[in-house]
Amino acid sequence: MARVTLENIRKSFGSVEVIRDVSLDIERGEFMVFVGPSGCGKSTMLRLISGLEDVSGGAIRIGGRDVTGVAPSKRRLAMVFQSYALFPHLDVAGNIGFGLALARTPAAEIERRVRDVAERLGIADLLARMPRQLSGGERQRVAIGRAIIRDPEVFLFDEPLSNLDAALRVRMRLEIARLHKALDGVTMIYVTHDQTEAMTLADRIAVINQGRIEQVGTPMELYHHPANTFVAGFIGAPAMNFLDGSVDDSGAVTFAGITIMPRQPVSHRGRATIGVRPESLRLAGTGEADLVARLDHIEPLGAETLLHFDTPLTVRVNEAVPATEGDTLGLVVDRTRIHVFPP
Amino acid sequence: MANRPTLHVTPWTAALMAILVMLAVLFLTPTVGVLLSSIKTTRAIAMGDLWSIPGELFLGNYAEVLWNPAVHRYFVNTLIVTVPATAASTALGVLAGYVFAKLPFRGGGILFLAIVAGMFFPPQVILVPLFRLFNGLGLIDTLWPIFLVHTALGIPICTLLMRNFFATVPDALREAAILEGASEWQVLTRVAIPLGLPALAVLATLQFTWIWNDFLWPLIFTQSDEKRTIMIGIVNLKGQYTVAWGVQGALSLIASLPTLVIFLFFQRYFIKGMTMGAVKG
Amino acid sequence: MERENRFWRVVLLVLPLSVFAVFVVWPLFSSFWYSFTDWNGFDPNYAFVGFDNFVRIWTDRLFYGAIVNTALWMVAAILLPTLLGLALALLLDRQIRGARIFKTIFYLPICLSAIVVGQIWTWIYQPDWGLLNAVISFVAGEPFTHAWLARPGSALWSVIVAWSWQQTGLSMVIYLAGLTAIPSDLLEVCDIEGASPWQRIRRVVVPLLIPSTIVVIALSVINSLKGFDILYIMTGGGPFHSSDTLAMHMYNESFKKYLMGYGSAISVVLFLIALVIIGFYFRQLKRLDEIYG
Repeated sequence: MARVTLENIRKSFGSVEVIRDVSLDIERGEFMVFVGPSGCGKSTMLRLISGLEDVSGGAIRIGGRDVTGVAPSKRRLAMVFQSYALFPHLDVAGNIGFGLALARTPAAEIERRVRDVAERLGIADLLARMPRQLSGGERQRVAIGRAIIRDPEVFLFDEPLSNLDAALRVRMRLEIARLHKALDGVTMIYVTHDQTEAMTLADRIAVINQGRIEQVGTPMELYHHPANTFVAGFIGAPAMNFLDGSVDDSGAVTFAGITIMPRQPVSHRGRATIGVRPESLRLAGTGEADLVARLDHIEPLGAETLLHFDTPLTVRVNEAVPATEGDTLGLVVDRTRIHVFPP
Repeated sequence: MANRPTLHVTPWTAALMAILVMLAVLFLTPTVGVLLSSIKTTRAIAMGDLWSIPGELFLGNYAEVLWNPAVHRYFVNTLIVTVPATAASTALGVLAGYVFAKLPFRGGGILFLAIVAGMFFPPQVILVPLFRLFNGLGLIDTLWPIFLVHTALGIPICTLLMRNFFATVPDALREAAILEGASEWQVLTRVAIPLGLPALAVLATLQFTWIWNDFLWPLIFTQSDEKRTIMIGIVNLKGQYTVAWGVQGALSLIASLPTLVIFLFFQRYFIKGMTMGAVKG
Repeated sequence: MERENRFWRVVLLVLPLSVFAVFVVWPLFSSFWYSFTDWNGFDPNYAFVGFDNFVRIWTDRLFYGAIVNTALWMVAAILLPTLLGLALALLLDRQIRGARIFKTIFYLPICLSAIVVGQIWTWIYQPDWGLLNAVISFVAGEPFTHAWLARPGSALWSVIVAWSWQQTGLSMVIYLAGLTAIPSDLLEVCDIEGASPWQRIRRVVVPLLIPSTIVVIALSVINSLKGFDILYIMTGGGPFHSSDTLAMHMYNESFKKYLMGYGSAISVVLFLIALVIIGFYFRQLKRLDEIYG
């Protein structure tokens, strides 16, 4: 129904290039998340797809149709804004039915469809309320209601959870995931700077940095096979440890005073940046330590504990730690989980 | 507000209250003077009896003013100018203010400043050319020039206030409406204006007051008594009732009534407009 | 999208901009032109006279008087309402019984027209039964009464007092708005640091009111440059041109003597003065923006 294709998209504001030659295929019904640090251009990409912003070059196709110069409302898409953008002077029913009213839909039909949508989202009893009388979660549902009533083929989310408190964010995240399942075949494009949201929601993630896509893939692909240090550092929390090292001609990796033969062959040779995730390190038993480091700080999080070493290294362990800050401890590296990047 | 000084009854509070009451009396005196004059006979005023509390209510002055057909004409003329010019200047300010706030463009900032600067110029600067323009159009001694000039001179303040208001309306609202299929005109009429009603009320009260109270433009552009507005009328009748101070007082009060009523009813809006127009350059 | 935006920009701006251009901008520039002619207001034939009008300004004694009066008028008409308005605002910025009524009383005159204000004050100054003379003769005796508006020495000042009476409310509300914008925690700091009420006003409140002050002063300057109506009704610039301002002088030359070319030249001078003030005002605003965000 609606596959979204970006072909060599470019966007400049004046002399500042914010999107540089981005091409991407988003499958019908896919949940695609654009993730990246603030100012990376991810929101601009969303606005280009929506048509609120014109591309400076390249083409956008939705469902095979070239929509590059087409008005936003003719692109068969809907958008949920970060602030929800509910019209403060209209009640919930008026907000959900706004687009239908503009299209001069008969009042009876508007009412029927608004009620229908509201019931699906569990906000039928709020229809007469004004936006300012709603809680954050309710506002979000109204914004979603306004989006789905128009049967869009593509759903755009612009950081919809960032205005909510932590607990509500987790709940609404689940709701959006459910919504995606319920709306069969609707393509969703979701922008966030929060990698946890990206990991939990996405079918595929596009990691964006400085106007370019660094890598596209499923959450697990990005986690296990990051293409470069940027992706490696951005995906996964706490962030991956990076150490200076090298790879010799046999493929053995040397870093932090140890040499390891990784399980997967490494193609890179010479100086390298070695990535080790905090969960790929563990405290050594007697005589098995790969390296030793001094413990700087302990962060107990309950289910897990983060150990910060002075190397600097972060290690994530599940068990209680029999050490105190200032101790020197031995660490073991999981040889199957070593990432090697060009320096 | 929590930490504004709260006052219990202390000598200091009492002194403060006394000062305020004194100032208030001083400020009210001129107005009370007119009020008193309007209910006294000219004879009584000339006898030096203006400032005493009258024993009886003399309504002759009001009768004199209210039954005077010239006064009716002044009122009608003023209304004919004030209401449309208020509506027109406000409407034009809404259009321009919306563009400057929501459709920014290169050079827009300069253009906006140029328009707002119009607010600061003494109207005398454009007096002569306008006189010649309307003279050439044969519109001198009609109400048209007053309406047109007030509409045009209202554009700076209206544009300023509306731009500042529309700037507070989140861009996302406009974008959401556009994605829902609204044209820019529909964004303006269905979203921006409904949200801007309080700002519009502010503007309308301001504009109405200024135009109603204006003296310069009717003085320049009208000549015959048939076309005079109320403020000119006061001055004219001053000649007619040279020493009829009571009548003059009654007329002044009646002429101020519309703006007084608007002020008392829309005080909040009125003050907000004054401070809004002032504070945000 | 940008194509639509461009279209709507033009559609929405065309009306306001053309009205503004025809009735404000164009006349402004024509004023420059007329200031170089001897047009009398009616005769279609008029001559280009070069800088004659400006040379004439140079020698016009009435013009000098008008400029001095305009300067006097502006300084006084700025200081009086500003200081009084600040004082009233400081007095009223507290939870006080009847604060709203007081505010209304002080603010009320602003909605009266200059004509009505002038009328009211003409009576206060009325030599025979006016309140001012009545009070003076009661306090000090008959010989100290004065024909306030009829004497060159007091006419302008009498109008300035009337003007201040009307304008004080405006600066008061602007200061009140500025006062409510002062964050409470700043005042709490004063309490913690043990500042006296006077120190608190002098060292914290007044400095924080500088933005409001700039606004008040700018408004007063603008309003007083326009000050015409109230002079027209109270003194007509008299007696003996002792209360002429530039605006008044320009009106007299243009519409009493029908020297519209000369009147235009005066208005050009008025325009230039306004321009300097506006330039200064915008610069201050920009600076304030940088300081106060």
